[in-house]
Amino acid sequence: MVNFLKRMRKLKTMLDVRVGLGAALFPSQVTATKEFPAVTRLHLTYAKKIYGGHHGARLFWRQCLPRLKYHNPGVSMTVQQTEDQEGPAALTIYFNEQLSSTAAGLASKQLVDKHAPKPEATEKSVVVDLKNLDPKEIWTRVQASTGAADVPPSEEDLAEAKRLAAITEKAVGDRKRISAMRQAKKDQERMLAEARGEVEKLKQG
Amino acid sequence: MSSFGAVMPSAARGILSSCSLPLRQRAIAPASLGLQQVRGFKDQKKGKGKGKSQPKTDRKGNRDFQQKNLADMERFALCDAMRYIRATEVGREPTLSKYEIHIRIRTKKDGPVIRNMIRFPHAVQTESRICVICPPGSKAATEALAAGAVLVGEAEVFEAVKAGRIEFERCLAHPDSLPALNKAGLGRILGPRGLMPSVKNGTVVEDVAGRVEMLRGGTVYRERDAVIRLPIGQLGFSPEQLRDNLRTTIDQVKKDAAKLNDRISKEVYEVVLSSTHGPGFSLNGDFATDNSPPTSALTGV
Repeated sequence: MVNFLKRMRKLKTMLDVRVGLGAALFPSQVTATKEFPAVTRLHLTYAKKIYGGHHGARLFWRQCLPRLKYHNPGVSMTVQQTEDQEGPAALTIYFNEQLSSTAAGLASKQLVDKHAPKPEATEKSVVVDLKNLDPKEIWTRVQASTGAADVPPSEEDLAEAKRLAAITEKAVGDRKRISAMRQAKKDQERMLAEARGEVEKLKQG
Repeated sequence: MSSFGAVMPSAARGILSSCSLPLRQRAIAPASLGLQQVRGFKDQKKGKGKGKSQPKTDRKGNRDFQQKNLADMERFALCDAMRYIRATEVGREPTLSKYEIHIRIRTKKDGPVIRNMIRFPHAVQTESRICVICPPGSKAATEALAAGAVLVGEAEVFEAVKAGRIEFERCLAHPDSLPALNKAGLGRILGPRGLMPSVKNGTVVEDVAGRVEMLRGGTVYRERDAVIRLPIGQLGFSPEQLRDNLRTTIDQVKKDAAKLNDRISKEVYEVVLSSTHGPGFSLNGDFATDNSPPTSALTGV
């Protein structure tokens, strides 16, 4: 099995799941207000290739959804990747009982996402168009329509991020040093091989 | 042979002189000179390496699989590990993603290995396609098909395997087709994949149909390089379900280890929970911590 240090280093990328864009708490049943009701589900639909404005939606899935899922483990999140480039890139947000006051304004009324599951009797859903938006803009819209509260990174997380950044920075110098060493070794081997070749020639001639 | 330098081509002369070799002092034929120099250089390097590794191991190397001290490893409670795994698996096809378990064992490099089959309290439903090698049209063949085998036959199976189409995860054989199987010489292809039927593994049986049913319900596992890996649950499982499966697995592995020869000791050393797309989390044996979300939140997609 892989050695500990490598495994630990890999696990430290878990920090990425805790901190960053999309690290926020949706209003739950407990924290719901009249303005922002609880979010029960999310569904994302986008097409396989990036042209046609589907790139941001995919990045949103890659970057933000894991963080949202980590901080809101109870909220079900599904993703549907379609073959239809012309089709929608849309996020369907399901609210408990009623829509939030801002959601209706941000939603696109005409857009129909046929891959999204139907809202249940107690749910109201809203479809947000994600075409030609980058993940940051998508997140701003999602946050505005749900009233999600950002989770600030803890002291330890910040220290950890600093340490990892230092390692990444050091890696640049280390990489140069090692590649120089490898090159020197290769040069010497090549030189010796050449010399050997000359001697072989001599022997034959 | 007049002067050494005159015979050498200019390039080689330059190179050799830069190696700071005492060319003239030693009376060696020029042809062998370069070679000797190189050999000496290599030997020197090898010698150094040997000197370093010698005190640690004998000629055959370490007889045990190296297992480091786990105190250096960050370890997680089951619910916390699940929370991270579910976050990394978000949006993946829920039927494809599975929780996996890696049980690391403290053991010798040689000697018997643990291999067995397990039935979980909560079925994982890994669809394993089963191939049965038996005379086509026989009673065993029809029964095996009825029991859910995907591929049944003799010659057509051999041809498919030889063509590289191995579309099954388990392979059984009826004793009647054993001669044909051995004649076909598939050991080279199936052997490394652990698919070659043999009496020793219990994959050559009279009652093919019964065995097929057993295989479909259970999960086969074996120890490879001191690790047992097997899928242990669907991503939608609740922490309690996963815990039940985990307990059953570890108990059975411990039993398997105890069943082996008295002189052989195998002990469970680390349990790592991971998933199809997720990273591996070393488990510390706790179910949940104070910060863990409620178990209901860790259930479902």
